[in-house]
Amino acid sequence: MEIGLRLAVSLAQIAAVMGVVMLTVMVLTLAERKVLGWMQDRMGPMEVGPYGVLQPIADGLKLFFKEDIIPAGANKFLFTLAPILALVPAMIGFAVIPFGPTMTIELFGMQVKPFVISDINIGILYILAFASIGAYGIILGGWSSNSKYSLLGGLRSAAQVISYELNVGLAIVGVILLSGSLSLVKITEAQAGGFWNWFIIAMPFPQIFAFVVYVISSVAETNRVPFDLPEAESELVAGFFTEYSGMRFAFFFIAEYANMILVSCVAAALFLGGWNAPYPGTILGHLGLDALAWIENVVWFAAKVYFFLFLFFWLRATLPRLRYDQLMRFGWKVMLPIALGNIVLTAIAAYFFPR
Amino acid sequence: MNVAITAQPKRKPSFSEWLKTLTFYELLVGMKATLKHLLNYKPITLQYPHEKRLLPENYRGMLALLRYDDGTEKCVGCDLCEAACPSRVIRVVSGEVPGEPTKRYSKEYYMDMTRCLFCGLCVDACPVDALGMTREFEWAVYDKRQLHLNKQQLLAIGDRAYPVREKRLELQHPNVAFFNVTFKHLPQKEN
Repeated sequence: MEIGLRLAVSLAQIAAVMGVVMLTVMVLTLAERKVLGWMQDRMGPMEVGPYGVLQPIADGLKLFFKEDIIPAGANKFLFTLAPILALVPAMIGFAVIPFGPTMTIELFGMQVKPFVISDINIGILYILAFASIGAYGIILGGWSSNSKYSLLGGLRSAAQVISYELNVGLAIVGVILLSGSLSLVKITEAQAGGFWNWFIIAMPFPQIFAFVVYVISSVAETNRVPFDLPEAESELVAGFFTEYSGMRFAFFFIAEYANMILVSCVAAALFLGGWNAPYPGTILGHLGLDALAWIENVVWFAAKVYFFLFLFFWLRATLPRLRYDQLMRFGWKVMLPIALGNIVLTAIAAYFFPR
Repeated sequence: MNVAITAQPKRKPSFSEWLKTLTFYELLVGMKATLKHLLNYKPITLQYPHEKRLLPENYRGMLALLRYDDGTEKCVGCDLCEAACPSRVIRVVSGEVPGEPTKRYSKEYYMDMTRCLFCGLCVDACPVDALGMTREFEWAVYDKRQLHLNKQQLLAIGDRAYPVREKRLELQHPNVAFFNVTFKHLPQKEN
């Protein structure tokens, strides 16, 4: 009975988080087109609903009813598996993200943490591990389509994701050294008490370089402009999902946006203090409304995440695509030494000035 | 990496250049430009089916056959438009007006608008101003054959595009009938 109840509560939490993520993906598909349009003196979608706000629903319906094509000569099993392999890791990472303050509430006689599905002590490692599995979806999708564009897109993606995941992992190490934990909940708690405690500028060694490396690498890892070589439309049609249509295509599409949200959440949690407000405590808490303080924290978390998502759009509106050798040289010769140097300096600083 | 053929000595970057690289100065300049456009957002888009551009006076749109103010066709079936057309859009079948052996008219008149390039040479060639260019341009159709227009369709386009019609030639100045030249400054013949 106890286990059944816990399972039900966990499933409810998962459903809530999934719902919020899917809703954010829907908002993002519209917001991206709108922001991009505004930055380029266009209007973006305007036809469906007032100012085009219902466009994501129209797009979703269209993709749902589209013909599902499997190209001749494709490996059917892998062709079917690849979109799932891309989507599931992108979604599963949200399990360890703390969306709000660490607190437990009594529900049916159980201790429930409402703002994190599962506070496992290797949270950040878990996210990195699943992010690597996401690369399989892209590579297998490219290979199984039996198309040269897809294959080239998949190959590029393989090289790119491996190169930049290394930098993401190394950029995070500095934060882990300072906080002394792999759990995202503990890392966020370590940054409480004002913006001067956020790891991006926190003493003893500000992680500003690690932050820059992380942001650039995460843009590359999610295959966004200016690192969108796997799906470079001017060269490779649509890259690894050239041959995909209908819901399978939608899976890749949702996976891309979910990955964007995930890396934004991780960046906010690791470097910008997660759900902590940039001042000590919360305004609602100081006013004596401790029961409602979590609202303020969740809003701060959402604001940080949306700042990163806006940054993704902003970069896309501004920057041209890198050439392949530039991408590789930048990853291995610039980002990697910075990340390694950051680890050395952070380790020395953390040894002499333990927090 | 391809090897550079002329080995240029690598210039040492100055301190300010080095600082600019380190702080992503050029990227930030570009991002400032896009943000500026976002903040003073003035779209140049025209929401086409809902709002339309103002067409210039001499816009060359859909071709049309015209009539005189009493409803008779202007076309005299001379085939000059067919000869003038560079894309062979026009086909005229000329015929005598029954009972009037000196007068001719176009028995059939076809235009294949799939080939038309809207140069207006046929309009220039016409000695009696029987052809006109309207300001219609929304002629997208699902079936290409709908763009093969016959005489009735072309006259209908002319009727809706030119509601104000000219008088018959013989009621205008005598010279107009033969040379397609207007003599507006000369006194007009009484009706």
